[in-house]
Amino acid sequence: MSRPVRHTLRMATPPGDVNTVHDMLEQVWNDVPEIGPEDRLKFEIAVIELASNVMRHADTGTGVVCALVVQTYPDRITATLSDSGEPGDVTLAGRTLPEDALAESGRGIPLIQALVDELRYDSDDGFNHWHITRTLGG
Amino acid sequence: MEMTITESGPGTAVLKPVGRLNMASAPHFKEGIRVALGRGFTRIVVDLSEIDFMDSSGLGAIINGLKSAREQGGELRLAAVSWQAGLVLKLTNMDQVLSVHEDARTAFADV
Repeated sequence: MSRPVRHTLRMATPPGDVNTVHDMLEQVWNDVPEIGPEDRLKFEIAVIELASNVMRHADTGTGVVCALVVQTYPDRITATLSDSGEPGDVTLAGRTLPEDALAESGRGIPLIQALVDELRYDSDDGFNHWHITRTLGG
Repeated sequence: MEMTITESGPGTAVLKPVGRLNMASAPHFKEGIRVALGRGFTRIVVDLSEIDFMDSSGLGAIINGLKSAREQGGELRLAAVSWQAGLVLKLTNMDQVLSVHEDARTAFADV
């Protein structure tokens, strides 16, 4: 990988859904085959969790428009997911797995944090921005 | 997501979803569990051998199925878990809660 590779997906949900994101990541893996299977799988879980979280919480009934930018570097891979929806649940510090082992939700953010080196949220001009970074081979 | 439901013994059914078990397919998976329970199968084996991706939404659907089975006096067990799905189970500590077996055919061999 001699230079950063950038992929951008702009999507409205519906009709787009998490499978649209899977398809975009498949294109990334095709274009950057040197990224190993463990890094691919862990990063893909994190991105899909992030996209699911945005689709679930940012949608106030009229759907969500979002943009996903994935960039690969020699030593890391990053994703930024931006949306114009409600901020939703942006509490990231101290997030733990649900106390109720049979809870059906609430594992997405802790799972992302276990899979990547950085998960960060910020906002500007009414847009939410979620950033994740995974160090390759980490 | 396609899914088959196959009887594997008295009161026991194997559900075999194919593809991705995520936010998009979770409702369909839950419906499959509901259909199996409605047919009187209270011991449910979820065979993950044809699942190439599972996330916490898919896991939530499985937990929903486990609770539904238990409400009818039954149980839900997992079989043929891939490395990827196993990683999600491990990182969420659900490998300590869900019963995981190598082979769907023998998942309820002890009952």
